[in-house]
Amino acid sequence: MPGNVLVIAEHWKGEPEGVTFQMLTRGRALADQMGCKLDVLVIGHGVGGVAANLADKGPDAIYTLDDPALETAACGLQAEAAVAALRQLSPRLTLLGYTLVGMELGPAIAVRLDVTAMTNCVSVDYVDGAVVVARPVYDGSLHARMAIDPDTPALVALQKGATPTLPLESKNAPVEKLPVDVASLPKRGEVLQFIEEPVSDVDITKADIIVSAGRGLGDPSKLALIDECAKALGGMMGCSRPLVDQGWLPRERQVGASGKTVTPKVYIACGISGASQHLAGMSESRMIIAINKDPNAPIFQVAHYGIVGDLFEYVPELTAQARKG
Amino acid sequence: MKIVVCCKAVPGSVTDVAVGEGNALTYRSQFQAMNECDEYAMEEAIVLKRQMGGEIIALTMGGITTQEVLYTAAAKGADKIIRVDAQVQDPRAASKVLAAALKKIGGDLILTGTQSRDSLSSFVGVATAQQLDVPFAFAVTAIEKDGDNAIRVRKELGGGRSADVRLPLPALVCIQTGIQPLNYVPPARLMRARQQRPTSLSLADIGLTQADLAPRGYRIVGVAPPQRTRQAQMIEGSPAEVVTTLLAKMKEVR
Ligand SMILES: Cc1cc2nc3c(=O)[nH]c(=O)nc-3n(C[C@H](O)[C@H](O)[C@H](O)COP(=O)(O)OP(=O)(O)OC[C@H]3O[C@@H](n4cnc5c(N)ncnc54)[C@H](O)[C@@H]3O)c2cc1C
Ligand SMILES: Nc1ncnc2c1ncn2[C@@H]1O[C@H](COP(=O)(O)O)[C@@H](O)[C@H]1O
Repeated sequence: MPGNVLVIAEHWKGEPEGVTFQMLTRGRALADQMGCKLDVLVIGHGVGGVAANLADKGPDAIYTLDDPALETAACGLQAEAAVAALRQLSPRLTLLGYTLVGMELGPAIAVRLDVTAMTNCVSVDYVDGAVVVARPVYDGSLHARMAIDPDTPALVALQKGATPTLPLESKNAPVEKLPVDVASLPKRGEVLQFIEEPVSDVDITKADIIVSAGRGLGDPSKLALIDECAKALGGMMGCSRPLVDQGWLPRERQVGASGKTVTPKVYIACGISGASQHLAGMSESRMIIAINKDPNAPIFQVAHYGIVGDLFEYVPELTAQARKG
Repeated sequence: MKIVVCCKAVPGSVTDVAVGEGNALTYRSQFQAMNECDEYAMEEAIVLKRQMGGEIIALTMGGITTQEVLYTAAAKGADKIIRVDAQVQDPRAASKVLAAALKKIGGDLILTGTQSRDSLSSFVGVATAQQLDVPFAFAVTAIEKDGDNAIRVRKELGGGRSADVRLPLPALVCIQTGIQPLNYVPPARLMRARQQRPTSLSLADIGLTQADLAPRGYRIVGVAPPQRTRQAQMIEGSPAEVVTTLLAKMKEVR
């Protein structure tokens, strides 16, 4: 099948996001195996800096779609623009991040181009002439493996942190601007403003040790147990999203794709199942300890040390021993 | 305002998962419940109706047992409940069915969730919007009216960033968890809701055939516990022993 591997770069304020480098690493290996080139598509306004940054990070060529209308484009227009670009480039495999941005853009592009789409992937490989992905199903304790039909163009959305970033040999990729008339595309809404969360007093990204509570806690009155444990260890309390959604804790404590990305020395996950959106915020922690009743909980896939059991038996004990020093 | 909420029935306590016929997974499950973010979408619909008037239609696609979630939706406040009688796992095909049903039902605002607990794909909402050719926004945490023919939504971009977006109506919005507090449904209300008969739509009613639903372009080759990227060392023993070991390990990290 003709066509290249293409990475859709994710970027913010002129800087590529970490997931973009992960996809370049994976994309480079796949392109070499498939005997094709690795391209990058950068969409936005004023993206020259992003393109220049990526040029020596492994791709063979960089294509940009740079238009003032994309500055405030809702995803509908971004997708139409990306589709126009992809029609010109006809990649056989398009990689993008399974991030909040990619979760919106991926399906929008896939439907328009009528390509096979696989989202929330933990791996993508080239096996016997076919692109094979693995992705979680049900509660994430199982992974389904899917082989994409050969000769079928595909779009694969990879979880953040699913593959490492490795240094790649520079190909001094040329940067080419694609001729797409963005103004002629349907607008479908408009971004009125971008908002960045203000810095708060509670900054869990600065903590060396984070003890995080998940829905396994069961009851907000038990939060004190986690907080005491975190304090006894000289750390801070974090949490998974459902606790914030239920109003138990403020958003500033939330770890994950739509919360904080943390890289403490020690991350202790208590009663957290380990959904991909939670892992996206903590999988780079230096030591991960998980306490969970369910031996098949996906959190054990990233944990260095695991305890299968009731958090209420272990957390108070941890507090007590930590206090003794 | 006519609001349609797409609610999916998702299985709980799933066991015996295997690759079955027709590129689908088979499993056993103890119960079905409304997908979590769809519950939040229902709550948001109720708040919007209170502010602007109109009606709420709950729509699900699935076999007869998935009707359960429609009763929950009715008990929460849906005025009409509709089930499309089709069993589809493939997210692409699912969006095709929902879009065809939504074309027939109409609606100014369509709400879906961000992700379903079983397929974990975060695909169906936006894909449905694209099939319908209407504006959309993903991971929405607030909605307000903006003039007569538009809404203004706040959506998450990840990493603590978000955006305010203006969407002309009709539009489809994928609701993020936490948008409204979830209200408890008293059993008596649920009992009453069960007396309501859901409208059932067949594939023929929405102009589709079984052939339109076949997953295309891939083959499920297996389903298994994941290969551990990191071999977690399991620590066993009494809580005191386990914790002593852990604290020693923690001291080694720099
Ligand atoms: C677009 C999007 C963005 C998201 N962003 C985030 C995010 O930023 N952060 C985030 O965390 N999630 C996020 N999520 C939600 C995510 O998908 C999961 O739903 C969430 O992480 C689950 O939280 P949990 O693990 O605490 O709860 P659950 O998945 O319900 O897990 C609870 C766990 O506790 C265990 N347990 C129960 N009782 C005990 C006990 N007594 N002792 C020990 N273990 C026990 C259970 O075995 C289970 O594994 C996002 C989802 C979407 C769709
Ligand atoms: N069978 C279904 N019936 C009704 N809504 C659905 C169905 N499947 C998916 N959805 C909607 O699409 C959203 C995203 O699902 P998914 O793409 O499977 O993660 C869900 O939160 C639902 O709102």
